[in-house]
Amino acid sequence: MSSLAIHHQGRALAIAEAPLTQQFLTLTLGQELYALPIEHIREIIEFGGLTEIPMMPEFLRGVINLRGAVVPVVDLSVRFGRQRTAIGRRTCIVIVEVEQEGAAQMLGIIVDAVNEVLAVDANQVETRPAFGARIRADFIAGILNQNEQFVIVLDIRQVLSVEEICELVGMASLEK
Amino acid sequence: MAVIVQREEDASHCLGITGELNIYSAATVLQELLQALEAHRQLEIGLAGVDDFDTAGVQLLLMLKREAARQDKPLTFVQHSAAVREVLDLLNLVAELGDPMVIPLEDGECLS
Amino acid sequence: MLIVNLDSARGALVQEGRELLAAMEEALLAIETEGYTEERVNAIFRAAHTIKGSAGLFGLESLVNFTHVAESLLDRVRTGELFVEGAMLSLLLTCGDYIGSLLSAVEIGTEAQEPDEALRAWLLTQLQEYLDGTASDTAQEVAPFDEPYARVDVLQGEPVSSDLWHLSWRLSPEVLRNGMDPLSFLRYLGKLGRIVYLHTITDRLPALGDFEAEACYLGFELEFESNASRQEIESVFEFVLEDCLLRILPPHSQIEEYLRLIRELPESPQRLGEILLQSGALTPNELDQVLTRQHAEPQPAPPLGTLLLESQLVPQPVVAAALSKQKQVEDKRNHEQVFIKVEVGKLDQLINLVGELVIAGAATNLHALRRDMDMVEEAAQAMSVLVESIRDASLSLRMVAIGEVFQRFPRVVRDISKELGKDIQLLVTGADTELDKSMVERLADPLMHIVRNAMDHGIETAEERLASGKVASGSLRLNAYHESGSIVIEVSDDGRGLDRQRILDKALQRGLVQPDQSLSDAEVYRLIFEPGFSTAEQVTNLSGRGVGMDVVRRNIELLRGEVEVLSEFGRGATVRIRLPLTLAIIDGFQVMVGDEHFVLPLEQVIECVDLPPQEGRHHLINLRGEPLPFLRLRELFNIGGRASGRESLVVLQHGNSRAGVVVDQLVGEFQAVIKPLGMLFQKSRGLSGSTILGDGRVALILDVANLLQRASALSVGTPVRVSAGGA
Repeated sequence: MSSLAIHHQGRALAIAEAPLTQQFLTLTLGQELYALPIEHIREIIEFGGLTEIPMMPEFLRGVINLRGAVVPVVDLSVRFGRQRTAIGRRTCIVIVEVEQEGAAQMLGIIVDAVNEVLAVDANQVETRPAFGARIRADFIAGILNQNEQFVIVLDIRQVLSVEEICELVGMASLEK
Repeated sequence: MAVIVQREEDASHCLGITGELNIYSAATVLQELLQALEAHRQLEIGLAGVDDFDTAGVQLLLMLKREAARQDKPLTFVQHSAAVREVLDLLNLVAELGDPMVIPLEDGECLS
Repeated sequence: MLIVNLDSARGALVQEGRELLAAMEEALLAIETEGYTEERVNAIFRAAHTIKGSAGLFGLESLVNFTHVAESLLDRVRTGELFVEGAMLSLLLTCGDYIGSLLSAVEIGTEAQEPDEALRAWLLTQLQEYLDGTASDTAQEVAPFDEPYARVDVLQGEPVSSDLWHLSWRLSPEVLRNGMDPLSFLRYLGKLGRIVYLHTITDRLPALGDFEAEACYLGFELEFESNASRQEIESVFEFVLEDCLLRILPPHSQIEEYLRLIRELPESPQRLGEILLQSGALTPNELDQVLTRQHAEPQPAPPLGTLLLESQLVPQPVVAAALSKQKQVEDKRNHEQVFIKVEVGKLDQLINLVGELVIAGAATNLHALRRDMDMVEEAAQAMSVLVESIRDASLSLRMVAIGEVFQRFPRVVRDISKELGKDIQLLVTGADTELDKSMVERLADPLMHIVRNAMDHGIETAEERLASGKVASGSLRLNAYHESGSIVIEVSDDGRGLDRQRILDKALQRGLVQPDQSLSDAEVYRLIFEPGFSTAEQVTNLSGRGVGMDVVRRNIELLRGEVEVLSEFGRGATVRIRLPLTLAIIDGFQVMVGDEHFVLPLEQVIECVDLPPQEGRHHLINLRGEPLPFLRLRELFNIGGRASGRESLVVLQHGNSRAGVVVDQLVGEFQAVIKPLGMLFQKSRGLSGSTILGDGRVALILDVANLLQRASALSVGTPVRVSAGGA
């Protein structure tokens, strides 16, 4: 597995630049563009070595071995209520870290492709539009306008809400 | 060797024991005294002549008391000899036996 | 005065202080339940003194001043001027708690603020009252005296008014026939001193019909005043010793003397009997008697101290002093280096490294096998063996005795039983059963709740108990033991037990069960773990609020454990907690279904059996005459495809249940480093973790308990039975 590590200083960088610019990683998921604030992102790896876990909700595709750590992998497309991500040449896993109740949890997100890192002014991020976005409203943190294209900025805490995922996992495993 | 002398006095039948009241004579004396108890309504037993008194003798006195009580007949020991007094004092059985024990003034014995 | 920089030493100071306080509490409780011993008072004094000293080094005024007053009081107790009893004990326990809170303040750096001004003032006032001699407490049993005699009265716990030997003498019936008479011995004894009081015991005189004039039926109890030694007194009875039972109890001043002599004995390792002989508390003849008795007892024979106490040959304080002398010497010799302190972080690091080593070793093995190089294979094998040893050794470093958790309970039980006004005795067994350090702290809360529950709702009041023919004092037992790869912890009480009907009624009321459901006792008892469930009529201060048992169960499940309740109505109940013993690395058994690898804990694998191909959906198999429920992993995990060739049935066991799982292939044993699946999978059932195989793939570790449950659920209602061949 080759890895493309983003060299950033995570929070430190974000804080230093907070008032003026924010950095986002843009990615492609099922023809649409999404953005994630980079402070949560740890690395990006090629897709591979996924072990499926039975009795799990559909969006939880399995786990991978990340240098000795077992990391769960989520299919955002399914999480957004769409079809499974088809694995292609450019399919990657973005490793993010979310915090829940004081503990950090590493998660991988399957994406079709990873695009560039954008640096935008804080005021360029518009609040959620009222019109029908095709994903859950609470997943959206805001909208970016980039070269005439709308990029949905995801609220990682909601998308990868450990609490919610836990519940769904629990329910799924009881179903059988 | 013990000798038992009997006579009547008032309502009680009186006996006196002379000699040894110890392991050698206990069994025989006991039988005789039990017979006397059987035959009379009331007994008075004098111990003035007892010159040798041991544990077996103590037990004999105790058993007699019990049997008399069981038959509901009064039985008293009187005129305890020095030998008997010493033992009963040592073993602290005077109260248990219940008879008044007279301590003669001329008695030179030292009581503990 | 040298004042040392506090910050770097803060942790060590607090840690040491806490250990000393624990020792102090233990000693105070021991005095309360077992009696005063010098060793215990010294332990308490030492605790206060050492804490004061360390606090002084760091200029911690508040702690120094408070502890100083307690230390002064303890000093007076130590020298015999004051007596530690009842109310003072409780006061000292509370002072210990307060010193604990002062230490906690030091720990977090808030030592400038007094944790509780009012409490401190009150405690100091109480302490001062004892120091001034104005303490008036109704719990005081004995008034303070200055003479050592009276102090020893407290030792005995009985009101005795004078300083006499007590002899207890029972003769065998043959004595008189053997030519001896007790009278002569008594007279002889009278020469050694003064028989102050003698009581002749006549109640062995039989009925007249059974009476033999030459037999001896008398016994004697005497109070004897004398300066003679025990040996001299015993030798009075020398010729009749064979024909009687003689107990000599020394006068109180003599006990003092024995205690002093024991203390002064040289510090070389000695047997208990020897110590007592040397101090004169026991005669050689008496020691022989007891040793003979000890040998006659069935193995394992009771310890000498116990026999001595039972036979009443030696008073309790003296046995205690001798035992502690013995222990002192032993301790000194052992104390050099039994334990060292290790930083937890370093230990964890070591274990992580061992984990990685295990994986690397597995990878090496795998490569060696694939390339078929004999020498490399051999070397890899040798390394495997070494790695396994290091693994076991490093894992055991993390194991601590559960006594660490249990040790706080004597105090808890004492305090709560006072609060409830019930008399409850605590028995602790299996305290040296080991479990992983990480679990120890997280067990404390659930256990605390279970114990409180048992004391509050389980054990009845003394009146109720007497009314139902039980002993007035209730008993609570903490027990721990290992059983097939788990540690089992039990909290048992002899109280009223669970009321099945009441629980069922409540559950119906709450809609937790349907009226037509038929439930086994175990299932009914399990209902008490449902959230919001509480049948306690009065919500007491301690428990019964309904937030209890479900939280307990959740906490235990977080430790990958399970909890169940056993009960006998009217007789008592037991809460049984089962936790997995091994944590980081387990011996696993690898199986395959399709392309997927799964791992089962080897400890729970009983056997593997070939499964003949069958039609239809069966879930029950006849294994050597016994029905065995089973399930197919392929079905359970929705893995596509079909098995090619013969399938295998792996028979698993958990606790008392057994079931089988059907897999395609058996791969073999291997060491699995458990990689937890993480928070996300906390609620998943059926998986207890994951591991990384030699080729880097992730394999899931299956939760046997859950599989067994599913298998037996499936097997209910299976009409056809299929036989299996042996393997």
